[in-house]
Amino acid sequence: MSSLIAKGSPLRRWGPWIAVCVVAVGVLSIATFGTRSAPSAQDRVSTISRSVKCPVCSGESVAESNAPASQEIRRQIAEQVQQGQTDEEIRSFYAAKYGQAILLTPSASGVNALVWILPIVAFAIGIAALVIVFRRWSSMPAERATEEDRELVDAALRDNADVDDDPHGEGASR
Amino acid sequence: MNLALGRAGVTLGLAAAVLGVITVGYGLLRKRPDLVRLSRWYAALVFFGGFIAAFAMERALITRDFTVKYVADNGSTKTPALYNFATMWGALQGSIILWALILGGYLVAVVLKFRKRLADPLVGWALFTMLIVCAFFFGLMVGPANPFKSFSPPVGFDGPGPNPLLQNNPLMAFHPPMLYLGYVGFTVPFAFAIAALITGRVGEGWLLATRRWTLIAWGFLTVGIILGSWWSYEVLGWGGYWAWDPVENASFLPWLTGTAYLHSVLVQERRGMLRVWNISLLCATFALTILGTWITRSGVLESVHAFTTSSIGIALIGFFALIVFATVGLIGWRGDRLRSPGRIDSPFSREGAFLANNVLFAAFAFVILLGTLFPLAVEALNNDRVSVGVPYFNRMTMPIGLTLLFLMAIAPVLPWRKASTELLRHRLIWPAWIGIGSMIFAVIVGARGFIPVLAFGLGGFAAGSAGRQIALATRRQGWRGFVGRANGGMVVHLGVIIIAMAFAASTSYVRQAEFTLTPGQSAKFAGHTLVYEGQNVKQESAKIVDQVLIRIDGTGPWAPSLNKFANGNQTIGTPSVRSTFTDDVALSVIDIKDGDNGSVTIRVTVQPLIIWLWIGGGVMAFGTLLAVFPGRRRNPLDAVSAPLSVEPPKKSTGVTP
Repeated sequence: MSSLIAKGSPLRRWGPWIAVCVVAVGVLSIATFGTRSAPSAQDRVSTISRSVKCPVCSGESVAESNAPASQEIRRQIAEQVQQGQTDEEIRSFYAAKYGQAILLTPSASGVNALVWILPIVAFAIGIAALVIVFRRWSSMPAERATEEDRELVDAALRDNADVDDDPHGEGASR
Repeated sequence: MNLALGRAGVTLGLAAAVLGVITVGYGLLRKRPDLVRLSRWYAALVFFGGFIAAFAMERALITRDFTVKYVADNGSTKTPALYNFATMWGALQGSIILWALILGGYLVAVVLKFRKRLADPLVGWALFTMLIVCAFFFGLMVGPANPFKSFSPPVGFDGPGPNPLLQNNPLMAFHPPMLYLGYVGFTVPFAFAIAALITGRVGEGWLLATRRWTLIAWGFLTVGIILGSWWSYEVLGWGGYWAWDPVENASFLPWLTGTAYLHSVLVQERRGMLRVWNISLLCATFALTILGTWITRSGVLESVHAFTTSSIGIALIGFFALIVFATVGLIGWRGDRLRSPGRIDSPFSREGAFLANNVLFAAFAFVILLGTLFPLAVEALNNDRVSVGVPYFNRMTMPIGLTLLFLMAIAPVLPWRKASTELLRHRLIWPAWIGIGSMIFAVIVGARGFIPVLAFGLGGFAAGSAGRQIALATRRQGWRGFVGRANGGMVVHLGVIIIAMAFAASTSYVRQAEFTLTPGQSAKFAGHTLVYEGQNVKQESAKIVDQVLIRIDGTGPWAPSLNKFANGNQTIGTPSVRSTFTDDVALSVIDIKDGDNGSVTIRVTVQPLIIWLWIGGGVMAFGTLLAVFPGRRRNPLDAVSAPLSVEPPKKSTGVTP
């Protein structure tokens, strides 16, 4: 079969990689769209309570904390889930009751939007800087070894055996 | 007695550090090698001072000498010996003693290692810098964080003992020292970087001299972070191991910049490039250890406004500012020498991959730093409150993590200079199939969801690449194929991949629920059956332990408990975890109802692959150890890369010689 494809043809060279891509897309679509049991009420409660901050402790979510206030909120969330409220409705209920700081995910409005935007800006700057330096590097003339350089290297290689590459007793130099 | 001894130690350390700075500094400026060489005595005295302080504190703790205020505040006659010993690093002032002791130890180690080069200005300035850092930390113990304040205990006085959470698991005895060995260890390469800038010898000499020191510090930091995460999993009882908590972030930040440095430094060694960037990364790593200490120790986390009352906060942030200004100033001053003539020919090369790695790690560190400090900034500027928590960090770091995994798959097989697509196609096909295999395996065992399955695929791909490098190296060099920087580095990669897979699986497929059970009652959750058998109350010296006995799938009984400590009214839960290679069932007691026919409320957390986090940590530590040992010696005159125009020969590329 493979002999039908000419040696050195793009298909022959890229064939295995095309197969890899096809299988990857297939497996990933099974993983993404395949049957999955819907999250149970219990799972939704624990997901939501992981994104709500415990009102009386420092830096713990309601899910982690054992404080009575957190236990109460967990119970409340369970009721709200039972009543059929959506995750967003439940979260905004607590934001309205305790203030925005009760949510562990900062909102994307006002000053708080900065916490989402700045990393993307910084990353873009990093990539742009890389592109710029590579541009500059590629426009630089390649260094050419001169006759003098070659002689220097040859001389060094001749002396190679006598060279102590470890003058300070620091072990291997690599 | 202990007070006097401790104060003597602190004073000795401070005096030796300050005099050392003056003497060595004067000797370096006046070109007096005899004075510069005195650094060895000052180093010994600093270490001795730190040792006496630590000895006095341990002696005070062990003899329960409550005339030392630190012992009165944190010690207790009821604390078991191991936790009593570990109390030295259980609170702020004592932890500074540990810091100073370790710093003194590193100082002496540097003096011993470079004993033949003490008069060399590079080593001299490095010791000068280290002595300044020592003077700062001993200064803290004289001023804002004095561990040897006196206290006059009333008759029959007994202290409250350390925070109950700190006497619940033996890991407490190991996690902080490991972490500090890492934090403090970065002082050595930092000091050499500063010395290189001052002397103008910004070439590769100082890099080679400190390479192993950096690696060792990084290894300790890695182990410290993983032990800390293990500790929180075993002790805190909320079922998790990493909460993107400011304390955790503070340790993770220098790890990220340190990791970036360990990679980009290779570009400088090979090609003489990226000098400014490497020095900046190293200084950032050291500065972040100080900033992290400030974040966690100044009280700034409770509120920005609480911080002005803490003088240690001001001292630490001042020292941080000094480091930043000194570094930036020195780099600006040496700007001309730091410029390097080289260039990177192609982004598809080993050095190009290291640059990409650096951008990703820098972005990672930026996200963590921003998320940690953002609430403080908003409060300071706007007087408003905002929380940045786990959902933010998970969402922002996930794409970075996946890209890093992808890079870990590609980068190890890239040659220096320039790669052809031909070469990549050939070298990466087997790793790619391993990635596909791991995705298929994940889907067969029931994994669903785009992100986690993609993560398993990329993890397999990266593991395939690392495995390929190790296989090639061992085929060529035998057992030596595991040793040395490049080969050990691949073992570290495998450890990182194991941790990344465990992290992806456990965060994606965590199931958590609460059950209220009466004795004999059972519950089914996430494929496990739990039977509540009854309670068992134990009286221990420092606490009353109320155990709840539960059988998981017929094994056990497992005994999560509530502990009531004799001193203080705090009740602390101790979780109980059943670990297997596939999943962990973690139980913690939420509530025990008194007199109510013994019914209890327990929280059950089921997470897959947790044990692999710790195994991965062990593999990383082992890999670091392999990387520390010298690999095959490379003659410095041997060519390091093939000429640009010639296709690199297949045999010698791939694995760095």
